[in-house]
Amino acid sequence: MSTKATINRLATRVPGLDDVLGGGLPEFSFNLIAGQPGCGKTTLAHQIMFALATPERRAIYFTVLGEPPLKMLRYQQQFDFFDNEAIGRSVRFVSLSEDAMAGDLERVLARIVEEVTTHSPGLIFVDSFRSVVFASEHAGSPKISLQLFVQQLGMLMTTWQATTFLIGEYFDETDANPVFTVADGLIWLRQSVQRNSMVRKIEIMKMRGQPSLPGLHTFRIDDSGVRVFAPAQFVAAGTAAPAVAALDERALTGVPALDEMLCGGLPRGYSLLVAGPSGSGKSVLAASFLAEGARRGETGVVAAFEQHPNRSRNPQLADLIARGRVGLIDSREPDLSIDEIVLLILTEVRRLGATRVVLDSLSGFELALAPTFRTDFRESLLGLVTALTRAGLTVLMTSELEDRYTDLRFSPYGAAFLTDAIIVQRYIEVDSRLQRVMAVVKMRASAHSNALRLYDIRDDGIHMGEMLVDQEGLLGGRPTRKSSSGQPPPAAVPDSA
Amino acid sequence: MPLESQRGTRWPEPLASRVSADAGVEQIADTILTVWREIEEALSPIIGHRGVAALFNRSVKLVSATHPWLAGCLGDALEAVDPTALKAALLQQPAADAAAGGAALFQSFHDLLASLVGAPLTNRLLRCVWAPSTGATPAQDLSP
Repeated sequence: MSTKATINRLATRVPGLDDVLGGGLPEFSFNLIAGQPGCGKTTLAHQIMFALATPERRAIYFTVLGEPPLKMLRYQQQFDFFDNEAIGRSVRFVSLSEDAMAGDLERVLARIVEEVTTHSPGLIFVDSFRSVVFASEHAGSPKISLQLFVQQLGMLMTTWQATTFLIGEYFDETDANPVFTVADGLIWLRQSVQRNSMVRKIEIMKMRGQPSLPGLHTFRIDDSGVRVFAPAQFVAAGTAAPAVAALDERALTGVPALDEMLCGGLPRGYSLLVAGPSGSGKSVLAASFLAEGARRGETGVVAAFEQHPNRSRNPQLADLIARGRVGLIDSREPDLSIDEIVLLILTEVRRLGATRVVLDSLSGFELALAPTFRTDFRESLLGLVTALTRAGLTVLMTSELEDRYTDLRFSPYGAAFLTDAIIVQRYIEVDSRLQRVMAVVKMRASAHSNALRLYDIRDDGIHMGEMLVDQEGLLGGRPTRKSSSGQPPPAAVPDSA
Repeated sequence: MPLESQRGTRWPEPLASRVSADAGVEQIADTILTVWREIEEALSPIIGHRGVAALFNRSVKLVSATHPWLAGCLGDALEAVDPTALKAALLQQPAADAAAGGAALFQSFHDLLASLVGAPLTNRLLRCVWAPSTGATPAQDLSP
């Protein structure tokens, strides 16, 4: 029999927060929600309160100084979680502003104790706690010190079996403060501003007794309140891999000749980069990849980061989306983070039981990211690709490639090493015509064709043509006819890259 | 729903159920002051005495446009309206005018609060004042 005390964990129901906290909030813990003005402290506190408060576990929200209670009620009720009916039934607001204004911490503590004794709440919020400190400093010599006040409050609340939250403006964590020592949990909210973009981040700096997820996690505030985006790889780990046994070993692309070049299609769980210049047919191939999945009873998700939302979509893809065979992620939210995009994609994957994912295109994806994430775009991309393939998904990404005939490049991001397979598309000039050629450049741990083949784009998709065996210098863009036209056999070579 | 569209919601004014049609001005003034204190009791724990005082003053200011005799009992911006001054002003009016002024004052107070925090929350917070006959508990009474 275990002799350890059991710590119940309260589910805050703030999306993503419980994951980041390491499984919810420990009951009877003494927590600090800190951060600069406007970073979402009060919103987070209200959201947690309305989620956790019940007639059996009631909440008291003490407003001290700072935001006047009337304004707080005015703005907080705009969120979906705000429940008028809970007020009086499970939530009680108490203003301590007049006691705090006198700067007497002992009086503030006495009022809190009086309310807590009378109403026995299971949840206590003190907002803003920082203003208690300012008030006591302005009043000269307080009868009890802040440290004593915090320690007494912490002890009282724990013995009263209440989970407590102190909400305060703290500008940096080096701010030596006794509250930090006493608190069981430290939730820090930040705003990272770069150029015209603002990204909100949350950090669990301390959570006694449980392993919270380290580092800064992005979050967003919208009408539904706070949504935290747990790290992409953590979210992916919770996604059940598609039942691979029920699927063919390889995912076909819908272009039979290309599948032959891939020696039977793209292995499941692989990421494929399709790189090529504008108009080369990358999106057509991506649509074909999804359509082939649909034909075989699979579903897919396409994340389109288009700059022109009204531009007409590939009709084949539009039809798949309309029929619910393909889910569309078309986020217009500004300043996306990788974690948010992965969550959007995986949510849609779970909804549809999808097996195939298309990111069209990486260039649009980079622009959709907040500038702060663009500086380490490769790391972000690696996180994204790893998260998706770890969830068992087969991923196709397109990348716009400026045709340079002096060198052979596959991605402007140096992203080539991140993917398991690469298909490159290029334009060449033959007999005064602009022709397209395609080749499989890389396929990890699998044989593939090394042929460079012509292809056409017609209304019904991509049609592969022949190799131009009598031409040489194709990659230079301006091939020349070979003097002697020997027919080298099409080769399949293993690639261990 | 935007808050503005909730303004002007007609509420059963809290005087109608408490005073009879033939009540004298003395009784009407006492009832108005009772309602006044009940509002203060319901709201001051949440928004503080000064918060309530500011709302009262704004309501008196708004209503004095149609009931100029109320202007005399306007307090300082953050100080509560003096109940003695209010009662004195009421007693100088005919019973019907005092009742109409009081009803307008409470309606204005209700609308002002509703414009700030919305009608549903206002109704929730003032339920015990507006509908005492239903036996509703005060908005924030959490006692078991």
